[in-house]
Amino acid sequence: MLISGKILPLDRSNIDTDQIIPARYLTGITKTGYGVHLLEDVPGTPINNPKYKDAAVLLTKENFGCGSSREHAVWAIMDKGFKAVIASSFARIFEENCYNNGLVPVKLKSEEVEKLFKQSNCEIDVINQVVKLESGEIFKFELDPLKKEFILKGGFLKYMESKVSLVKTWEKTAS
Amino acid sequence: MAKSVFEKVWDSHIVEELPGNNYLVFMDQIVAHEITTPQGAIEIDEKFGGNLYASERIIAINDHVSPAKDTATAIQAKVLRDWAKKHNVKIFDIGNNGICHVVAPERGYVQPGMTLCCGDSHTGTNGAFGAFALGIGTTAQAGAMLAQCLILNKPKTFKIQIDGKLPLYVYAKDVILAIIGKMTFRGATGYVLEYSGSTIESMSMEERMTMCNMSIEAGATSGMVSPDKTTVDYLWGKEVITKDKNEFEKLKNKWTSFATDKDSKYDKEITLDGNSLKPKVTWGTNPGEVIDIDGEIPSDADEKSLEYMGLKKGQKLYGLPMDQAFIGSCTNSRISDLREAAKILKGKKVSIPTIITPGSQAVKRQAEREGLHDIFQDAGVLWTHSSCGPCLGMSMGVVAPESRCISSTNRNFPGRMGTGSRPHLTSPAVVAASAIAGVITHPKDI
Repeated sequence: MLISGKILPLDRSNIDTDQIIPARYLTGITKTGYGVHLLEDVPGTPINNPKYKDAAVLLTKENFGCGSSREHAVWAIMDKGFKAVIASSFARIFEENCYNNGLVPVKLKSEEVEKLFKQSNCEIDVINQVVKLESGEIFKFELDPLKKEFILKGGFLKYMESKVSLVKTWEKTAS
Repeated sequence: MAKSVFEKVWDSHIVEELPGNNYLVFMDQIVAHEITTPQGAIEIDEKFGGNLYASERIIAINDHVSPAKDTATAIQAKVLRDWAKKHNVKIFDIGNNGICHVVAPERGYVQPGMTLCCGDSHTGTNGAFGAFALGIGTTAQAGAMLAQCLILNKPKTFKIQIDGKLPLYVYAKDVILAIIGKMTFRGATGYVLEYSGSTIESMSMEERMTMCNMSIEAGATSGMVSPDKTTVDYLWGKEVITKDKNEFEKLKNKWTSFATDKDSKYDKEITLDGNSLKPKVTWGTNPGEVIDIDGEIPSDADEKSLEYMGLKKGQKLYGLPMDQAFIGSCTNSRISDLREAAKILKGKKVSIPTIITPGSQAVKRQAEREGLHDIFQDAGVLWTHSSCGPCLGMSMGVVAPESRCISSTNRNFPGRMGTGSRPHLTSPAVVAASAIAGVITHPKDI
């Protein structure tokens, strides 16, 4: 799985899910259609800058996706066409939501993130867990070994379903 | 080996160890609301034959925008309502509902030693009971509905020791804001917090819920308080708890067995002096950007936060004019919060538009039995039915761009209470005092 394309830079830390997709748009019962409002409450948002049209990688800093648990944040990012988010850290629920939907959460060191802010494109090799810069420089990143499979093949709910009989057996012995 | 309340609950709910630091963790209770449930519920119905693992372990609550404000939110509520009916899931709906983190505890659904999840980040509220309760996304919630489990990384433990007697007009909200300010907005990522010490021991369950509610605001997976007599006393008489004294005695023994053992070890610890705390107010765009009510905005304050909030370094918040006031949300909308606000508002008039939204319809009815609604309305406050309301800028008092709202809620992110809105988070008492004065004011000065 290779992700290659333009970077949308969001040069801030602590962008919470309210800024990613404001609550006033959480009135749907589907997972689609949220992309048009992506990042619209971020002060000075670059989202509508034509320079970043069709960007595939969202680049930001610390604690991205903090706040509300709304999975709509991940759906909005994917709906807009992004395939990966690079940050120096993620909030727990957001990161989990990324895995469950196949959006790649790439965690890099702060100094690597800073270097990426000077780039307009990059390539992410998900299987080998590396980010390649146009200069040829390479940054390695970690992915959860179990949840990586959900990114590559999907199937989180099928996996959970496959655990039902085990859980039932456990419940009998636990009670 | 001595174990903390978290370790006891965690260890008793592990179904399977999975690759990585992952565990399949059994969930005793799932709470589902209308904003984050429909997509997952529909997916289970369409692709998994509607096979819920245990519908009796789920409660559904229409809470975020209830009653609906428009067709879209009416459809969300209807989807949850119809789904609950179809699957025989207990639902709390118009007339009998409220914010899920207020309703579940007040009915007795949350008990010591339990695990609980909900598609809502403030689920940590329920940790006040010595339960391990956490917020999750829609898909993880759907997984829990299918297999009654979550896949979780084992969190680390973080003890927050708070001793001393809180001064007059200092509340649980001020304590948790002080903690978030101290450990920063993301300082607890990957940890479960345990609040302990004499300050916490003397807190009511409602105050403990306020503390645990905002654990997520420090990035924590959840917050917990070790169960004690206060916990047990609170649960007696609750709707879904046995009324049989012998049965209750057995439950009590089970619950208290989850209490933190003396000499439990933690991955991290901090201490806080409860005696010296002052009322807190946020100045910035995350809950960690907070100062004492009589303090000055720090010299190293984040420029972007200041610009958004229209404030300067060194500026005092005390005396800052407000455009609106709000008491409500899963953090501070319980009966004790309303009583504190009423003490300050009694016989006074508010000078700015002020809304008080009780945390549940049960809280509303109790407040009205005590005559609090008369105090509020005599003061010129709008007294509403229960909902999440303007806390997240969805309905019932959304704040205008560049307008300042003194608010008892939990989040002050850009746009949170409405596009361009400027929330200042604080306790219900400071909201009430500031609503009267029209500027940020200490309750002692009313």
